Amino acid sequence: MPETARAEYLEELANLEASALGGLDMVNTALARTMEAVESQDVEMAQVVIADDDRIDGRYLEVHQSLITMLATQSPVATDLRLISSLLHVLKSIERMGDQCVNVCKLIPLTGSHPPADAEMVKLILTMGTHTQTLIAQSKRAFEERDVEMARDLVRRDDAVDNLNRECFNLAIELGDDADKREWAMTMLLAARAIERVADNAVDIGEQVAFVVTGLFREFEDASHPS
Amino acid sequence: MFKPSEDVVAEPKGQRAVGRGAKTIETRGVDLFYGDFHAVQDVTMTIAPNRVTALIGSSGCGKTTFLRSLNRMHELTPGARVTGEVTLDGEDVYAKGVDPVAVRRLVGMVFQQPNPFPTMSIHDNVAAGLNLNGGRIPKSRKDEVVERSLRGAHLWEEVKDRLDKPGSSLSGGQQQRLCIARAIAVEPEVLLMDEPCSALDPLATLAIEDLIAELKSRYTIVIVTHNMQQAARASDVTAFFNLDATGRPGRLVEVGATNEIFTNPSQQETEDYVSGRFG
Repeated sequence: MPETARAEYLEELANLEASALGGLDMVNTALARTMEAVESQDVEMAQVVIADDDRIDGRYLEVHQSLITMLATQSPVATDLRLISSLLHVLKSIERMGDQCVNVCKLIPLTGSHPPADAEMVKLILTMGTHTQTLIAQSKRAFEERDVEMARDLVRRDDAVDNLNRECFNLAIELGDDADKREWAMTMLLAARAIERVADNAVDIGEQVAFVVTGLFREFEDASHPS
Repeated sequence: MFKPSEDVVAEPKGQRAVGRGAKTIETRGVDLFYGDFHAVQDVTMTIAPNRVTALIGSSGCGKTTFLRSLNRMHELTPGARVTGEVTLDGEDVYAKGVDPVAVRRLVGMVFQQPNPFPTMSIHDNVAAGLNLNGGRIPKSRKDEVVERSLRGAHLWEEVKDRLDKPGSSLSGGQQQRLCIARAIAVEPEVLLMDEPCSALDPLATLAIEDLIAELKSRYTIVIVTHNMQQAARASDVTAFFNLDATGRPGRLVEVGATNEIFTNPSQQETEDYVSGRFG
């Protein structure tokens, strides 16, 4: 193959990586807006997030198709093959993260315009959102820099999100007998759970970093066999 | 003294003699020369039986020269010489007194261009090796070996009604399978293949690759290929040869399981080559 054609292929692969990882910035924007919608009970903002998810899905489809074409036409192997394989996984995670933001936003109109919100629980969810945004940014940086240690550190941050999620649950149990408040709390638990899943997806991306670098796929944490 | 483990003529009808079969090839410190030119340097590797080992590397890296040293074909080139050791199940093929023709009967070879004897019939092309190696063989026995070899090369059904037609009347892919039938007619223990599909279309290539996959249950197979996808598809073990610069000797960079070489090679040089970053 002429050197220029190979150079073009490598450039295209680098661009596709940048494009895929750019999807994480889109998710972070969606998550920030989702948290704003939760905090202010802002149905309009929630609608924006829902509508904007098409952009994330579009990114997924566009990069996914280009990667498949690259597999078909360039026969990538070794590091290139591992990179393409992991980018396909990363794209899927990004698409799921976007959907989880949509799930949270769809809950907001259900709670009504003046819900019997518990300030402490809202604060816990917002803190989960902040932590998760950090996780997303860190997963992107770890991938860009092929930094396995930074990727492994995502587990520690994810544990904090998991703990906050459990706190939300405990708080919901203690919120008293008021039916409206309990309904609101149950709905917010679904929101907390969705955010907790977004953080898990960021850890999944970290696992792909380790795969690209080492060629070995290992779950950082095995949910079915926790240590 | 190096000897074939059995004489094909002495074999019981339709059976392989006990103890025959694929052999392990070991090379230790093999250096290959054409006159003053040092073509291949210090190759030490073990080639496992019942496996397909692919030799890959850019042009001039010495992989074909190395392949030809395994059955003493290298020395047919004037001025060519070999140092180091090549053993077949522990027997030194270059030991004093070893008959190179006996080595070549045990270590068969298939070449880049299908090379059937053009004026010979399909039948006689396959039987040619028997005539050279086995002395006088009864016709019925010869017919049996021809059929078995053509079946072994997945060619029997296509040619059984025209065995008396010239070998050159076949298509390229069929000719290459005819050459494989000719090679396996003398019951070798190792098959060397030098870019056996480079002159074939994709369908004929796949037919040969299927055949290689089947033949490995009986033989040790070593294949030189420029087609990396073929190495990835058809081999169990891949050895990567490289040279530092034109005029320098080729050397073995890395040998390993094919799936490792193509997903996570241990040497950067291998990574660069299989990824198409140079060469």
